[in-house]
Amino acid sequence: MTTPIAKQSSIKTNLAHRYREFALIARDPVLLVGLLLAVLFILTFVFFPIGKVILRAFADDNEAFNIEYFLRYFDPYFSRYLWRSLLSTMTLGIATATLGTTLGFVFAYTVVRCNPPGKRWVHILALIPIVSPPFAIAMATILLFGRNGLITAKFFGWEFTQGMNDIYGMDGLVFVQTITFFSVSYLMLRAMLERLNPAMEEAAHSLGASKFYIFRTITLPLLIPGLAASFLLLFVESLADLGNPLLISGNVDVLSAQIFLAVAGEFDYQKASTLAIMLLIPTLLVFVVQRYYVSRRSYVSVTGKPASGQILVKEPVTRWTFIAITYAVLALILTLYLSIIVGSFSKVWGIDYTPTLEHWKMMLNRGNEAIMDTTFLSIMATPIAVLLGMMVAFLVVRKNFSGKDGLDFGSNLGAAVPGTILGIGFILSFVVSPWLLVWALYITMSLFFVRTLFNTPKEQLSILLGGSVLVGLFWYSQEFLGEIGTMYLLGGLYMALAAYFFFMRGDKRSGKLLAGLGFYLMMSDLVLYISYPIASLSRQIDSSFWSDAVFQLSDYIQVLFRVPQTILMIPYLFMGMVALDKVRGKERPLLSILFLGIGGALAFVGNPLAMVGTAFIIIFAFTVRSMPASVRAGVASLQQIDPAIEEASNSLGANAEYTFRKVTLPLITPALLAGLIFAFTRHMTSLSAIIFLVSPRWRIVTASILSEWEQGGVSLAAAYASSLILLVLLAIGLMYIVTTRILKGRSDADLSLGA
Amino acid sequence: MYLTLTDVTKTFPGRSGDNDVTAVDKVTLNIAKGELVTLLGPSGCGKTTTLRMIAGFEFPSEGDIHLDGKEINKLPPHKRDMSMVFQSYAIFPHLTVYENVAYGLKVARLPKKEIKERVAKTLELVELSGYENRAPNQLSGGQQQRVALARALIMEPKVLLMDEPLSNLDAKLREQMRNEIRRIQQMINITSVYVTHDQVEAMTISDRVVIMNEGRIEQIGTPIEIYRHPKSRFVADFIGRANFISGVVQGWKDGRLTVTFMDRLLVVAAAEDEYKTGTAVTIVVRPEMMQLNPADGAHVDGIVRRASYLGDVVEYDVQVGEQLLSLVESDPRHLDIHPEETAVQIKFLEDCLYALPPSN
Repeated sequence: MTTPIAKQSSIKTNLAHRYREFALIARDPVLLVGLLLAVLFILTFVFFPIGKVILRAFADDNEAFNIEYFLRYFDPYFSRYLWRSLLSTMTLGIATATLGTTLGFVFAYTVVRCNPPGKRWVHILALIPIVSPPFAIAMATILLFGRNGLITAKFFGWEFTQGMNDIYGMDGLVFVQTITFFSVSYLMLRAMLERLNPAMEEAAHSLGASKFYIFRTITLPLLIPGLAASFLLLFVESLADLGNPLLISGNVDVLSAQIFLAVAGEFDYQKASTLAIMLLIPTLLVFVVQRYYVSRRSYVSVTGKPASGQILVKEPVTRWTFIAITYAVLALILTLYLSIIVGSFSKVWGIDYTPTLEHWKMMLNRGNEAIMDTTFLSIMATPIAVLLGMMVAFLVVRKNFSGKDGLDFGSNLGAAVPGTILGIGFILSFVVSPWLLVWALYITMSLFFVRTLFNTPKEQLSILLGGSVLVGLFWYSQEFLGEIGTMYLLGGLYMALAAYFFFMRGDKRSGKLLAGLGFYLMMSDLVLYISYPIASLSRQIDSSFWSDAVFQLSDYIQVLFRVPQTILMIPYLFMGMVALDKVRGKERPLLSILFLGIGGALAFVGNPLAMVGTAFIIIFAFTVRSMPASVRAGVASLQQIDPAIEEASNSLGANAEYTFRKVTLPLITPALLAGLIFAFTRHMTSLSAIIFLVSPRWRIVTASILSEWEQGGVSLAAAYASSLILLVLLAIGLMYIVTTRILKGRSDADLSLGA
Repeated sequence: MYLTLTDVTKTFPGRSGDNDVTAVDKVTLNIAKGELVTLLGPSGCGKTTTLRMIAGFEFPSEGDIHLDGKEINKLPPHKRDMSMVFQSYAIFPHLTVYENVAYGLKVARLPKKEIKERVAKTLELVELSGYENRAPNQLSGGQQQRVALARALIMEPKVLLMDEPLSNLDAKLREQMRNEIRRIQQMINITSVYVTHDQVEAMTISDRVVIMNEGRIEQIGTPIEIYRHPKSRFVADFIGRANFISGVVQGWKDGRLTVTFMDRLLVVAAAEDEYKTGTAVTIVVRPEMMQLNPADGAHVDGIVRRASYLGDVVEYDVQVGEQLLSLVESDPRHLDIHPEETAVQIKFLEDCLYALPPSN
């Protein structure tokens, strides 16, 4: 019997538990910092932008409450069109998910059960669509089967007239998306099939069941959770896809393309946000169903090792049917990619197929900047995504705390929401300073700062007040000093503190650390003395390629020293705490106020977090999109490491840091590398999330391909796409060499880890 | 005492609002230098949690742990001067045998030469000389176990902790390794705490056995004490096999008890507690403490319900009245095997019978 009193006390003990858990984490400072970083990142770059989009749908340009665009769904003038496009979006999703899952299953079954000749190559080729730009297949399909297509027009001599059923429209779109997304399904189902315990099928066989009966009653039911998961994932991918619909949807309107046009064509953010909500609802629904329902119904643990001794299909008709379908699809895929490459070397596609280098030359001329920018930004975002991902994975696998599920959910959400929505969210959030967010970040960090350093509420409050007053002073001083002056002032103060620590306290390590911090702040302006000469050097170079390259370099150097100050505040406050660690006595509160004031002031310098048009908004968008894959790769690899191995190191006298360096890190290195490759390729090929974020200063290849294509430069777009594919393959090849040679093949970094 | 646990309690927060789970409940334990003590109990009895608290992987919620006179309640594992052998061996898969064994010494920044000598010596001790450059996945289970042992021993720890170290080995190897562990432990006279759920392992290897159940200690004693004089029904049942026959106390003198049970008057050994005349008492009768069809002095009649020939012994289930008694006769070569459903007579070997303390 639960009396109200008992219930109350159970809530109380419950809260006490949560607090005790938190206190346990707090005792482990590295862990606490990790948790804080992950939470702040997810809050800033996932929840805040998505929240912005949702709110924007309910407000007009003057920020008054307005649901005009929702009402249009019930207004006879608009409703037919709106509902029809909603319906076609869902139709597309369901068709793609069904066909893609079917094809994925055929591939998985062929590879796992039918032992096809050249199995390794089948596997590798099936993965190409994952690492290629999102609209490559649509491009190739139009090149081959379009109105001027090599096959349709050239071989068959068809002439397309108005009203004829051409490749544009729903059928073409479904075809293109099926080929684009089936790889994901293949990977999931292959993993499941490999982990099915053959004993179950053998048991059924020994009970007298026929092969087909076994398949129907054992194999298929066991795979249903996997099939469902694949279906849902493909459904979401199809809905979120922007590149393919833009190219090939013809008269059919789908939500993602409509959102794009609402922003890029009409600049109507309220309309775009409303449509975004219509797209967000099914996406999130599927995400939640997948997470909390389907994945828990699974009979097969995907984290386990593949079962040894797979059952192979020996019966030739079935076996060769599967193999034949697989080969045929692979041949189609190869033809499609080949057509892009051939297209990039053809004079005028559809009319004059004479080989020429003209488009590649043109691309190196015009697209040089885009290719270099994309590569640079992708490289910058890669370590952030992987480190954050590994950190979240570590917290999720190895630590117990409330809200763990929330952390996992949040970190996955970034890639689960359609990229267009995230892109709009980024624009809405960071076009002007999001003061609410800046304040939230400052308050969280300052509370963390005082709570970690001081024990009594009185001390905590006075430090908090003192520091905040100082922050206010610095903020006010910007009126006179301007942004650059303030940065010099803050940097100078860190230098002064460094001198104090170095000479007066004799703490050389902290002194050097603080000097570095101060120098970095000053470099935000001083860097111009490096980048200007480089830029002027570039003007003296004749070759436009090299001239561009050198000029870009000057930009990239600046980026390194111009991390948004609000973001800088977080590590700067942490570093301040490190320096304060050994300070005792009267200086401790005084120095704490200084560190909190100077570090905290960073959050408010200039136009904080107004990042639209800068490199960082793209870098963070990349990071949000690829982090979940790193989390999954990290979780998978950490789960395979027996915690006792770390404990063994600990019990042999090694502390946590040594254990991580000598035991954990070497063991997760393969996953780390796989995460790096995957993150990089994901960055290079992403389109939907960053298409709104590109600026004249920061160009992205995928966006350039799209605009070239729209302007009719078919072959030029093909050249871009080919070079992008080439770059990605190069990166993968490089990583492959690293993993197999340097790590002596200890573990092969499988791309499937990331998917 | 060298290592002492005083009223050590460990509670884990329950999952989402459930009550706290008490894994270890007021455990008090004193371990002398050079002694090998086994924590024995069914899974979930708190033995591993107790070991992990000694190692420092968990901190006690209440109570104190002292090592060599110093309190070590909150000391992290790497500062405790103990090393642990894990159930899963936990061998570093990316290091060779040599690197595994040398790991702790490298952490301690010992000179290379000394490390080399000590590794060689330790590998010799566990009979793995010549395996230095093997990778862990090239070793058999028993060899991996030896590496894990060597890796812990080389630290010359104050206390060696072993968490079910043999449970992943097959039966033959297990027997061999447990003798090996005992030999090495005796040779270097290292204080050891050994966790197992296998009572045979505990009996053969230990100086003293600690029987745990539901987080509490049921009994501490030498293997002989535990087997001969179990303090509770749980202990009697967990160590070896036992029939429990209830009787009534008729008299109590000099540690001998006169009881009536199964309508017979017998004199049995008793614990040091006080037994009151007329109260009920449980008598522990081990399967080997009965004789079938004795030449004289049979106590009760019964019917064989099951007879299993195991080679070295014959096992019987004999029904006496309402109760089914398990019985073992050894060396069947010289005995008749009694077929099922035949009538037999049973004689209790009075000297061996033992009455549980009155609280049971």
